[in-house]
Amino acid sequence: MATQKADAVIVGVGAAGGILAAELCKSGMKVIGLERGPRLATADFTPHDELRYFQRQDLRPSPKRQPITWRPNSSTPSIPLPILNYGNQAGGGTVHYGALSWRFHEDDFRVRSRSIERYGASAIPLDSSLIDWPLSYADLEPFYDRAEYELGVSGKAGNLQGNKVDGGNIFEAPRRREYPLPALTPDQSGVLFEAGASKLGYHPFSSPRAILSRPYHDRPGCSYCGFCQSFGCHIGAKSSILVTKLPEADATGNFKLLTSVMCYRVNSGNSGRVTGVAYYGPDGSDNTIEADLVILAPFIYDNTRLLLLSKTQKFPNGLANSSGHLGKHVMAHITPRVFAAFDDRCINIYMGPSAQKHSLDDFNADNFDHSGKGFIRGAQISVAAADLEGGPIGTAMAMAPPPGIRRWGAAYRDFLAKYFTRYASIVAQTENLPYADQTIDLDPRVRDQWGLPAPRVTYDWRRPNEMARAQFLLAKLEEIGHAMGSQHVWRAPLGNGMPGAHHEGGTRMGKDPKDSVVNRYGQTWDIPNLFVVGSSTHPTMSGFNPTLTIQALAYMSADAIVNRYKKKPGPLA
Amino acid sequence: MNAHDESRRKFLVNAAVSAGAVAGAGLVPEALAQKEVHREPRDAESAGALHEGGERRGAFFNAQDAETVAALTERIMPGAPGKPGASDAGVLNYIDLALAGAYADLQNFYRRGLASLDAYCHKAHGAAFVRLDPAKQDEVLIALDEGKATEFAWPTAQEFFNTVRVHTMEGMFADPLYGGNKNFAGWRLVGFPGAQAVFTPDDLKSTQAFAREPMVGLQSEAKMPARRS
Repeated sequence: MATQKADAVIVGVGAAGGILAAELCKSGMKVIGLERGPRLATADFTPHDELRYFQRQDLRPSPKRQPITWRPNSSTPSIPLPILNYGNQAGGGTVHYGALSWRFHEDDFRVRSRSIERYGASAIPLDSSLIDWPLSYADLEPFYDRAEYELGVSGKAGNLQGNKVDGGNIFEAPRRREYPLPALTPDQSGVLFEAGASKLGYHPFSSPRAILSRPYHDRPGCSYCGFCQSFGCHIGAKSSILVTKLPEADATGNFKLLTSVMCYRVNSGNSGRVTGVAYYGPDGSDNTIEADLVILAPFIYDNTRLLLLSKTQKFPNGLANSSGHLGKHVMAHITPRVFAAFDDRCINIYMGPSAQKHSLDDFNADNFDHSGKGFIRGAQISVAAADLEGGPIGTAMAMAPPPGIRRWGAAYRDFLAKYFTRYASIVAQTENLPYADQTIDLDPRVRDQWGLPAPRVTYDWRRPNEMARAQFLLAKLEEIGHAMGSQHVWRAPLGNGMPGAHHEGGTRMGKDPKDSVVNRYGQTWDIPNLFVVGSSTHPTMSGFNPTLTIQALAYMSADAIVNRYKKKPGPLA
Repeated sequence: MNAHDESRRKFLVNAAVSAGAVAGAGLVPEALAQKEVHREPRDAESAGALHEGGERRGAFFNAQDAETVAALTERIMPGAPGKPGASDAGVLNYIDLALAGAYADLQNFYRRGLASLDAYCHKAHGAAFVRLDPAKQDEVLIALDEGKATEFAWPTAQEFFNTVRVHTMEGMFADPLYGGNKNFAGWRLVGFPGAQAVFTPDDLKSTQAFAREPMVGLQSEAKMPARRS
C-alpha cells in the first residue's frame, strides 16, 4: 500500500479532467491524475480496424469487465448495456468521439424559465424535474471561446456579436469572434443535405467539429479518411485531450498521471472536508493519495458511484448528498433517424469525418414555435453515416433495411451491395427532459472487475413529451430525405427505451443547494474541497453533443480554482 | 494472383496456424507477419477455407457444428454468381477463430444454440438443419428471427440468431486479418475500399463509386517498418 501527496487529485483525465490538470499545473499546483485505462499515442491509432475499434469497442469500457446495467423501471430486472459510448483511457471520450463541438443556445441554460414564458407552466410535463442552469450563456462565452481556440475547432460563425452570418448556424448564440479554423469540407452527403434543406427554407451548415481543417498548433489538417467516431485519429488532426491538454500538463513538470488504476473511494474525515482518494493499482494493490483538493471528472456513472461508495456517518446516503439529489435527473440523447437511398448517384458516406456531418438547427431548442405540438424542446438534425461511422460492419449493424426486406438473405445482400455506397442517414438528436425517477444507483447483483457494484441506470425515454417530439422529428427527417433527391426514404425503428448517447446528470448543478449537488463551478454544496466536473453536472442536456460545454465548464472551474479558491479555500458561490 | 494477394495468403496461413493468438489479441502481430513461412502452395490455397470438404482443422467447431454454421451463415448471406456470400468470404473460418479467441466466452452459447437449432429442425421438419433444402432452411431462419422456433431455452432463438447474424456480418466485413472477408470479398461486394488514409476534395465531391486501388488491409500495414523509434 502506497501513499502519495498532491495539491490536487483528479479522477478521470478526459474532456474535463485533462483541462483541469493542465490549468492547475500551470498555476504551480502539483496534480496527480488517475486514469483507469492506458495512455495511448497517435502512433497507436494506425491502422484503422473497424472490427477492433467500432465493433469490439476497444477504446471504450468493456461491457463485460466494466458493466453499466440498465432497466426501464424499478420493477424490471437490470441487464448490462451492450454498448458503452464513453472513454476508457487518458483523454477519455475525446479520443474516440466524433468531435462535434457545439456551444449551447442562450435558452439551453434557462429551459424552465423560457418554456414558462412562452408556453405557460402547463407545457412542462408534471413529472419533469426541469430547472434552469445556475449560469447564463454570457457567463460561459469567454470559456467557450478559449476552448475553441486552445483545442482547435473548425466551423463557420452564424452569429458574430449579434450579427447573423450566412453559411453558419444562424440560431447559434452570439460569439465574440470567428472559429479559429474554417469549416470542414462537405462530402457528397453534405452537399445534398445543404441543397435539400435550403430548398425547404431551413438553414444548413457544416457542423462545428474539433477536427482541424488546416494545420494548427503543430498538428496537421484532417485527411478525410472517415475514421473518427469510435477511432483514434491516426494523424492527430482530431483535437483530443491526448494531443492538446496532456502535453501542456506534462510540460509544467507538476503533473503525474497514474494509468490502469481504479479509484474506488473519496476519503473524508470528520472535519467536513475530503482528504484524498483510495485506488486500486494495476497489480490490485490498495493505495491512497492525500490531497487538499479532490476533483471527480470520470464519465457520469463513476461520479455517482464514487459518491455513493464514499458514504460516511455524516453523509449516510452518499458523500455530498445532503440534498438527496445524487444519482437523479439522468438524461440521454436518443436519435430518431431515417435512411435515404439514391439510385442516381453514389454518396460514399464512409468518406470524411464520420459523425454528424452537415446540420440544421431550425428544430432544436426553442428555435421554433412548439404551440399545440404536445412537447417542448427539440433536436439537432444532421446527415451522417448509419452509426456515425461509415464502415460496412457499422452499416450492417445500424442500417435497418427498408420495409419488406429482412436483415438477412439474398434480398438483404443485394440491398447492401447496391446501397452501401448510395445512402445517407438523417438523424435527429433530441433534448430529452430530466425526470427525477431517471436515476443511477448501485446494482445489488452485478459487480465489475474490481468487485465494485456496477452502476445501474433506471431510464426509459418513452414519455409523452419525448414520444411526441420523436414523431414530429421523424416527419421532418423524411421531408429532408425527399428534398435531398432520394428515391427511397424509410424510418429506422425507435428502440426499446434504452438510453442512447451522451448520458448526463446524476450530480446536477443548480442555484439552490436543496435541489442540486454542485454549484456552477462543480463545487459540491456540502464539501468545499470536493468538485465534480463533467456532463453529470448538466441540469438539462440540449440537443447538442455535450463535449464543448463540458470543456468550457472545466475552463471556468479551473479559472475559479486558480484565481479565487487557491487564495481563499471555501465556497465559491 | 498479384504480389499483394500472395503476401496476404501467406499471412492468412500464419494467422490460421496461430489462430487463437490472432483473434484473441486483436493486435497487428508484426513479428508474426514478418516471419517467413514455408508451406506447400496447396496448403496456402486452402488456408482461407479451413472447413471446406469437411476437413477437421477448426480452432473450435467440430466437423458437424462447422457444417451447420457454414450452412446457417450461407443462408444469412447467400452467395450468387458475382455476389460473394458467407462461404466465399470464409465466414465460418472467422467465427471459428473468434470463438477460440476473442469470443471464447460464447463457446457454450454456440454449443447450446446449435443443439437447439437441430432439435427444432428435427421436430419441425424431420431432419437436421444441414439436411434441409435452402427454402426449408429459410423457413427455419424466419422462425428464429421472429422468435417462433421452439426447443430453445438459453440462448433464446432470437438471441442465437441475432448473434450469428452479427458474427456473419463481422466475418463478411472485418479485415481479412481476422479470418473472413477472404480476398476482400465482403468489401468488394458492397464497394468499400478499406481503410484509406486520405480522401481528396475530388473524392468527397464524386458521385461515382470509389475505384482507386489498392484496397488496404491490415496485413499490408503489418509489413510496414516499425512505427515507433
